[in-house]
Amino acid sequence: MYTRSDDKISTTETSVFVTNSVLGAGILTMPRVVAAAAESPDLWLSVLIGGVVVILMAIVMAKLSQKFPGKTIFQYSRKIIGRPPAFVMCILLIVYFIMIAGFEVRVLAEVTMFFLLEGTPIWAILIPFIWLSCYLIFGGINAISRLFQLIFPICVLVLAVSYVLSIRIFDINNLRPFLGEGLFPVIKGMKSTVLVFAGFEVIMLLIAHMQHPEKAIKAVVAGISVPVILYFFTIVFVIGGMSTDAVLRSTWPTIDLLRSFEVSGLFFERLEFPFLVIWTLQMFCNFTCYYYGATIGISQLFNLKYRSVIFGVMPALYISAVIPHRINDVFEVGDLIGWSAAWLFFLIPLPLSIIWLIRRKGLKHNV
Amino acid sequence: MWNIFVEYFPGWKTWCQALATMLVAIGAFLIQKHLFAWGKDISPGEQQSDNKLQQLTGNYDTDLQMIKQQLSKNSDVHFRDFRIIIGSSRATLVFVEGMQDEVLINRQVMQNLMDGNFQRSEGYVVQNHSEAFAAYVKEKLLPISKISEVADLYELEQSILFGFTALLIDGLPHVLLVGEPTPKVRAIEEPVSEGLLRGPRTGFTEVLGENTALLRQSGLASDLVLKMVEVGSRVKRNLVIAYMDGIVNPDLLKEVEDRIANINMDFIADTGYVEQFIEDNWLSPFQQVQNTERPDRVINSLLEGRIGILLDGTPFALIVPVTFSMLLQSPEDYYERWLPGTLLRMLRFFVAFLALMTPALYISFISFHPGLIPTELTITIIETRQGVPFPSLIEVLILEISIEILREAGIRLPKPIGPAMGIVGGLIIGDAAVQAGIVSPILVITVAVTAISSFAIPMYSAGITLRMLRFAGMLFAAVLGMYGTIMFFLLICCHLSKLKSFGVPYVSPVSPYRFNDWKDLVLRVPITLMKKRPIMMKTQNKRRKS
Repeated sequence: MYTRSDDKISTTETSVFVTNSVLGAGILTMPRVVAAAAESPDLWLSVLIGGVVVILMAIVMAKLSQKFPGKTIFQYSRKIIGRPPAFVMCILLIVYFIMIAGFEVRVLAEVTMFFLLEGTPIWAILIPFIWLSCYLIFGGINAISRLFQLIFPICVLVLAVSYVLSIRIFDINNLRPFLGEGLFPVIKGMKSTVLVFAGFEVIMLLIAHMQHPEKAIKAVVAGISVPVILYFFTIVFVIGGMSTDAVLRSTWPTIDLLRSFEVSGLFFERLEFPFLVIWTLQMFCNFTCYYYGATIGISQLFNLKYRSVIFGVMPALYISAVIPHRINDVFEVGDLIGWSAAWLFFLIPLPLSIIWLIRRKGLKHNV
Repeated sequence: MWNIFVEYFPGWKTWCQALATMLVAIGAFLIQKHLFAWGKDISPGEQQSDNKLQQLTGNYDTDLQMIKQQLSKNSDVHFRDFRIIIGSSRATLVFVEGMQDEVLINRQVMQNLMDGNFQRSEGYVVQNHSEAFAAYVKEKLLPISKISEVADLYELEQSILFGFTALLIDGLPHVLLVGEPTPKVRAIEEPVSEGLLRGPRTGFTEVLGENTALLRQSGLASDLVLKMVEVGSRVKRNLVIAYMDGIVNPDLLKEVEDRIANINMDFIADTGYVEQFIEDNWLSPFQQVQNTERPDRVINSLLEGRIGILLDGTPFALIVPVTFSMLLQSPEDYYERWLPGTLLRMLRFFVAFLALMTPALYISFISFHPGLIPTELTITIIETRQGVPFPSLIEVLILEISIEILREAGIRLPKPIGPAMGIVGGLIIGDAAVQAGIVSPILVITVAVTAISSFAIPMYSAGITLRMLRFAGMLFAAVLGMYGTIMFFLLICCHLSKLKSFGVPYVSPVSPYRFNDWKDLVLRVPITLMKKRPIMMKTQNKRRKS
């Protein structure tokens, strides 16, 4: 059939999807969060090590999903541990997705209201965003991944250019002394860096859609290493450009970095404006990932039609976005999400893999 | 713990907003679904063959009587009676004035029949009312290259009125159609809407036969298949589907043929009708079928695995499927060397972006975020905008709508005044508006840049799309400033990601990533490196070079 209607995505598309699910609000808040935890300029080491840990977690998830080709976690979890526990697990996952989606769009609304549109009521920013995401999700995973591939290079390019141009205020002394207080602050910082990478659980339902599931590991590793590298550069340039103390005192350190230097000759003097533009595009992609994850989850768990679920999840997303009252609440939700990510990892993929391994080995012994 | 829950539980206003979000979205979806189905109703028409199947009897007098009865209402149908040389049988020519080739009729038909060399001693048994007689007339007496026989009265009547010349001979069982219609034809000249600096200066004409000949004359090609079908239920027209046999994807070909077979209309005036019947999504502002007047565009597309559609009576041919990048390409990119080709393409992408977004960006910057523009420029703009009484949206709308009116008027003005009107309209009226204090000068520059950018797009239909969309962009920007502009851009990207043209995603080859197709997207790599056909077309034969 010439028209492709099989809902399968290629390996590159999977990587881009995973990248988009991780790159989100973290870019703006991460420097401050990690600096608050570590209190030393060696945060970049924490980010790198945390990234490696996250890649390992992602590989566990990918391997688990590879054993059940064509099935998402909502479908194969009940094969592993039976229906009721799987049901609870999946509900947790869906609530987690909705929470992250609400958090991401709330951060976007906060930043937009702060930098671009003062005085606009928050629902005027949230509602068109959610509607647009709903419009995209209607096209299925193929349309989503096409949009991601459109936006991904633009985002990475503008980010790279912004960071490179910030070299003029970069001071390597801000990053020294290297390991001045030993390795302990690095470990303390790792607690919060792992939390920044929250959201890659979409891998578990993405591998079901791959054309070549055998390449899943490669796709996932590539998909997560891009945000790791980007976050690494973010930390380096932000801490190098503004020192650790300045980072601790600013709400959105990355944007403050971009506001700290001027570029003469371009149409806009400071680079915060193109950064905000592409960051909005990136947040849209991020939000869509979780919206899609929640939709697939509910539709497969309760056997409802995909299209109806898209509408049904909308109020939940909106409520989850407006629940925090102030910006401090928003950041607390962010921390909560980070903790949930770690807990969910130990609750879902890891036990499922272990149980499955035991069952398989048990079967082999029996036979 | 309970305190936290109570404190953060959303109030009733939030619940209302959440519900409203969902309900409005559902409403919009239902409207769109029903609208789409309503506009796309596919019902193949019933055959127009009521009681028209009347066979010709073979008897000269009855047949002639039947024909005269049907056609006598038309005063331009002429009947020429004469006798042929074989046994002095009666014969009649029936023709419509102005359509037949006089020389052919007089010399080759009438002269040969009335006065031809009739050899009695040839192997044919020449008697009346027999097949041998018919064969003899057809094979020996009529030196004409195109002859056909008709047995059905309805078909005969249609053919005569279309311009064929009918020949009835007493003793022949069928009626012969001699002489094809030779409609009036204009010279082959370069199409007005797609002129190039370098490249063949040929364009299609209104005669299907000439257009197919132009395609065949592109070069020796045994693969080039031209398949003819009839479209239209009451006034039938010929339509040709052109493709390369070893290259095109057979599923695509079948899809195109099915959609054309489902066209249900009494008269297909132009390929525009065909386009609107076969496109995937009639609600989209983007065209999913490309139209062109140039044969070289069609041949190049055929070699990429696409399919061409030509219709009798119009010089515009269709090419399916189409992707977004095709709308910004011009054959000149390939005829020039790779460096100008690449740079011009980059310019066109930039120009498309400008044509779409400039008014929206103007509104967002001026009304919402003046702090984002360089300071000196901001001060100048604020100074010049002092006396303007309107908010920026109204100001922009006034000028943009005036430009559209001028554009429409310019199309219909006679040739000498047209260009002058453009200059008059653009400069003087814009200047006068600034003097009158209605608009600010920076807006005149913005609008002028937008208008010129939309002219730089090679396909006129793509230019129309961007012209329409920029008004939507203005509205988004006026409501939510820069955020609204970003939402608008995202909306267009989402729409393009969902759009498909005959199964090919509209945003190919940008995404899905097919690196080989990128050689012909923004860059135009040197022609020695273009070894493969576009992967997105899923062609049978993959390599261009041997």
